[in-house]
Amino acid sequence: MKKDVAIKVTNMTKWFKYYSDKANTMKERLVRGWKKNKNEVHTVLKSIDLEIKKGETVALIGVNGSGKSTLLKLMTKIIFPNKGRVTTYGKLTSLLELGAGFHPDFTGRENIYFNAAIFGLTKKEIDERLDKIIEFSELGEFIDSPVRTYSSGMYMRLAFAVAINVDADILLIDEILAVGDQHFQDKCFAKLEELAKSDMTIVIVSHSLDAVKRLCNRGIWIHEGEVRMDGECEKVIDEYIKECA
Amino acid sequence: MKVFKELYQYREFLFTNVKKDIRGKYKASFLGVLWSFINPLLQVTVYAIVFPYLMRGQTIPNYLLFIICGIIPWTWFTMSMMNGTTCITNNGNLIKKVYFPREILPISSVTSGCVNFLISCLIILLFAIFTGSGITWHIIFLPLIMIVQYIFSLALVFLTSAINVYIKDVEYMINFIINLLFYATPILYPASMFDGTKFAFIFKLNPFAYLVEAYRNIFYAHEIPGMKQLLGLLGVGLLILIVCYMLFKKLEKRFAEEI
Repeated sequence: MKKDVAIKVTNMTKWFKYYSDKANTMKERLVRGWKKNKNEVHTVLKSIDLEIKKGETVALIGVNGSGKSTLLKLMTKIIFPNKGRVTTYGKLTSLLELGAGFHPDFTGRENIYFNAAIFGLTKKEIDERLDKIIEFSELGEFIDSPVRTYSSGMYMRLAFAVAINVDADILLIDEILAVGDQHFQDKCFAKLEELAKSDMTIVIVSHSLDAVKRLCNRGIWIHEGEVRMDGECEKVIDEYIKECA
Repeated sequence: MKVFKELYQYREFLFTNVKKDIRGKYKASFLGVLWSFINPLLQVTVYAIVFPYLMRGQTIPNYLLFIICGIIPWTWFTMSMMNGTTCITNNGNLIKKVYFPREILPISSVTSGCVNFLISCLIILLFAIFTGSGITWHIIFLPLIMIVQYIFSLALVFLTSAINVYIKDVEYMINFIINLLFYATPILYPASMFDGTKFAFIFKLNPFAYLVEAYRNIFYAHEIPGMKQLLGLLGVGLLILIVCYMLFKKLEKRFAEEI
């Protein structure tokens, strides 16, 4: 293991089985006997090799269904490869969904604890970040009202404020750059830029190419489960736009 | 060892989960958390009224305390199994979107039941005092009995929660199985009632028969629980726990895809 590698993907293949008629219930299983479900295998990622270095900010781009999000999920260890390996070095946080674990009946402040705890933070670590999170969310006095009384914008702002303050070594982001009003979006973007300049490793899946272009220094274009192009972000995006147009 | 390190890292998640389970469940109701104690008490009342009629003249001294010693621990088990079996499927959203050690969910189901039980022990103690039975030093064995019950419950929850992801029928079957087990455990009646009948073997095989017996030893009969059985149970429980945990780890790989 080289010290400067953050994420290493070696010869990794992932396929999903699609059951054309899956026996979901016990009854169906019994009626049909225990024979195998008919299924079709759909290979989403085909022997991918990637190495992402510490401190890089990487954009994963590609058309819908090309396997970008699947790759991100594999890096997060939400799903596991069928072949090959995905290894990550350091504390990893993924922002695939904002507000995971929020409970509507609890206050914003309590939900900060719930949400941050899911990312593996301890009580002490959350205490230290609490003021920063509340300030970033701009919720003010509403922080002590139950989350169910929040508007959807307030909800997202709180969720993003928690997620962005987790301080991981590796941050995986899936298409969540558009949060809240213009003012808050700018703020989030500024925060991401700040993080990108630090030695945090960031991988972003996004279709907002302009934003990504400003943020990332490396682009990886995934096409039909394979790496089509890998290099400087602007070049990759330009090629991608050419192809799509 | 890596498992324990990771669980320790995520301890706050475990803690908030338990808190959410206990306080969140009844948050909207008027009586709040009290409901988790009122429910078993109401249950006890019903049994205490109805069952003496069914016992065919056999009387058990201090029957009220006798069944409370069985029902309160049983409530913990039922709660753990009900919440535990669906803990993975109900948190599908989290499983699909966030990485965390999956075993936290089953562990927190059993733990919140455990916390609930600890508070409910006050009810047992109150009844022990007011029915004139009293409290003796024997309750120092409570932690040991609880550990054994915790291990068995956790093992079962690991098993059912993981299988429930693949076969959704488990959560419906579990209802019936718990009900069946309730009557196969000497909660409402003493195990001695079946001495010499062909059903006596059930109590030999049912770990909860030993557990209820042990709870009764310390709260009701004021004697030292059978240590040989308890330690034996602990050993068997740990073994089952390890097997169920390994199965859980194997099945967890495809949780996000199957939910």
